[in-house]
Amino acid sequence: MFYSIRHVTRFHYSSPVSESVMEVRMRPRSEFLQQCLKFELHVTPRARVQFYRDYLGNTVHHFDVPGHHNRLALIAEAVVEVEEPAELPASLPHSAWAAIDEMWASGELYEFQTPSHFTEPSAELEKLIAELGVDRSLDPLTLLRALNEKIFAAFDYVPKSTRVDSPIDLALANRKGVCQDFTHIMIAIARGLKIPCRYVSGYVFPREKHADRSTPSATHSWVEAWLPGLGPNHSGLWVGFDPTNNTLCGNRHIRAAIGRDYADVPPTKGVYKGRATSELTVAVRVLPTDAPADDKEELILLPGSNSGSSPVADQHWEQMQQQQQQ
Amino acid sequence: MTMTGRALERRKFPAPFSNYELGDPFDEMFLADGAPREHYQEIYDFLLQLPAEELRLHKQAADQSFLHQGITFTVYGRDEGTERIIPHDLLPRIITAQEWGKVEAGLEQRIHALNLFLRDIYHEGKILSDGVVPRDIIYSCKHFRREMRGVHVPKGNYLPVVGTDLIRLPDGEFVVLDDNLRVPSGVSYMMTSRQVLQRIFPRLYQACGVRPIDHYGQALLATLRNLSPDGRPEPTVVLLSPGVYNSAYFEHSFLARQMGIQLVEGRDLVVHDNIVYMRTTSGLRRVDVIYRRIDDDFIDPLSFRKDSILGVPGLFNAYRTGNVTLANAIGTGVADDKALYAYVPKIIKYYLQQDPILQNVETFLATDPTHLNHIVNNLDKLVVKAVGESGGYGMLIGPHSTKEQQEEFRLRILEDPRNYIAQPTISLSTAPCFVDGGNIEPRHIDLRPYILYQGEKSVIVPGGLTRVALRKGSLVVNSSQGGGSKDTWVLN
Repeated sequence: MFYSIRHVTRFHYSSPVSESVMEVRMRPRSEFLQQCLKFELHVTPRARVQFYRDYLGNTVHHFDVPGHHNRLALIAEAVVEVEEPAELPASLPHSAWAAIDEMWASGELYEFQTPSHFTEPSAELEKLIAELGVDRSLDPLTLLRALNEKIFAAFDYVPKSTRVDSPIDLALANRKGVCQDFTHIMIAIARGLKIPCRYVSGYVFPREKHADRSTPSATHSWVEAWLPGLGPNHSGLWVGFDPTNNTLCGNRHIRAAIGRDYADVPPTKGVYKGRATSELTVAVRVLPTDAPADDKEELILLPGSNSGSSPVADQHWEQMQQQQQQ
Repeated sequence: MTMTGRALERRKFPAPFSNYELGDPFDEMFLADGAPREHYQEIYDFLLQLPAEELRLHKQAADQSFLHQGITFTVYGRDEGTERIIPHDLLPRIITAQEWGKVEAGLEQRIHALNLFLRDIYHEGKILSDGVVPRDIIYSCKHFRREMRGVHVPKGNYLPVVGTDLIRLPDGEFVVLDDNLRVPSGVSYMMTSRQVLQRIFPRLYQACGVRPIDHYGQALLATLRNLSPDGRPEPTVVLLSPGVYNSAYFEHSFLARQMGIQLVEGRDLVVHDNIVYMRTTSGLRRVDVIYRRIDDDFIDPLSFRKDSILGVPGLFNAYRTGNVTLANAIGTGVADDKALYAYVPKIIKYYLQQDPILQNVETFLATDPTHLNHIVNNLDKLVVKAVGESGGYGMLIGPHSTKEQQEEFRLRILEDPRNYIAQPTISLSTAPCFVDGGNIEPRHIDLRPYILYQGEKSVIVPGGLTRVALRKGSLVVNSSQGGGSKDTWVLN
């Protein structure tokens, strides 16, 4: 499948700010069954966009806007090809747990097998684990399928019931949240059993008839778990689980960035100088498209001059609002 | 009637040493039988013939000099009046050329190995795959910077500026207590102490044949310039300070003056298009090398602590790209974590295939169940340290603690074992100090040499800062805990 993605992010400040510095993690990854064929990032006011690869292999674009501005707008446009993954077996042998413990002993995926900022265990989490009856009696694949479904059933999808930086306890206590919360909860539980798990930030193309719960006009997140014995040479495979939509990830899920949890992969992260309140609006549109005429990858970074006003030095740094994944 | 051996040992010293007592610790000036060591003979004779009144006048002159130079530091954790003149002891601490030779070689070896270790864990991580250092010590360390993985640092040098803490065991052996690989301070006290003492004891200084240290500032500048980003032949070097409220602000301004470079704060720098600039009255000026005296956490609110108002947003990305050099590199704190310290001898062996020249102090890790058991059952004998703290904060000195304090630490250790280590209580060596009332008495000291690591070789100015626990019997030398300083003379 080919998709075209348009992701618009706008910050509107109540009074002029300056020296905005921002990092963006929006470029779809090119690996496994997914290829990013085209990516453009337009920034207004114009800024010189540069990029680097972080240690997880995510492409991070960054730029600064030194002069005064009331608005900051980002338009990211991508064309991506995603292939449907091979069908998974109905289950794994119970010996898969031994392979998972071996992986733990090797330390290769250490950070995906231990708690991180948003996936720390808590009393509320223990309550849920007891309630759902999660342990190693099932094989890992069957367990994750069941867990995916149980989290879907145990929580209501309610936008704005949690915030971008809420700990999982808030969603756990109220049994409602958005995809970011469900992803963190599922990761926390699975890592508790030492299953290597990572957080995926990305986009989802909505199903037609039986609509997904996740908001189509926002970014999405889900879990990837490493399962031994799968894949072309049986050396293990990262398998996507989407507890928000009670589904396994296939060619509708477009991966932009991976990390230990949300803190590693926010689509935007930035600071600015100035005393202003800001309003953040985000729009995401994912459409199936034809293969692009020119399939050579293009990365167009718009050069530009800054607005020319002199930087100011008298105010403190403020954090830009981040977009919650829904 | 025979004299007992005990009475013979308690030999009476002549004034001004009348109150001097020798105990178990190694004494820098006196042999066990009470005779002065050969390298202290000169100063011993000098002190014996010096009238008490004159010694007092010298002390006054030295105090005045420190006061006028404004050599101060800040003590945290108290409500009022935190800025102090650094207490200073008049009598120099002397190290022989032979002793120093070993210290120098040992430090060079140790820091070279630690630098290789940092390069390894931020790239291939071979030492972790080989199981020499446990992975969880690295990943659970709050100073481990994942963001540094795969980042190239100029000349592969993570540690251009180091100040290692050494102590002397009762047998006279120097051992390493703390590696201080982040932003070690105190070098300004070393330099100003020397200036003052040279003025007060000019003839003694000449007679002893003391190795000079006044090239430190230029050596530091050369070290920093040498790390300039590629193709920047005349680099602009600045010193980045957290500002006047920092405990070491005196030192920041002192060093900037010594090197003839700009002293800046975060708000004086700006990153535009991934290049770092300094705001000057004549516009923006590109900065190439930053000697930063700010912790990693606070250096860039975009990449690290969001609430930092001291840092420069975007600085880390400019650094990552190689457009600016930070000294020291980001993430060096993972190698001076107090739990990692226990592994440094193995680290030296692993990278250099050599035995460590300078030994460690025996260390118990609370994360190890048998060690933990030993720690909680011997709190009255051990020194317990919080791994994330420095400067003598968060520490329990068993023999000098109350039952309540021990109980409090026991609970804290059990709750968070990763955060604690323990070591046997070591009696630091003692050196003669001029105390109130005009006498000279022994006080406990340590030694912090300053190493400018430049790859295979290092520049180490002879000596370093000798810190003194000025309270009688105290083993805490940190200036934040009432310690003072002493000039350190390495002889030719």
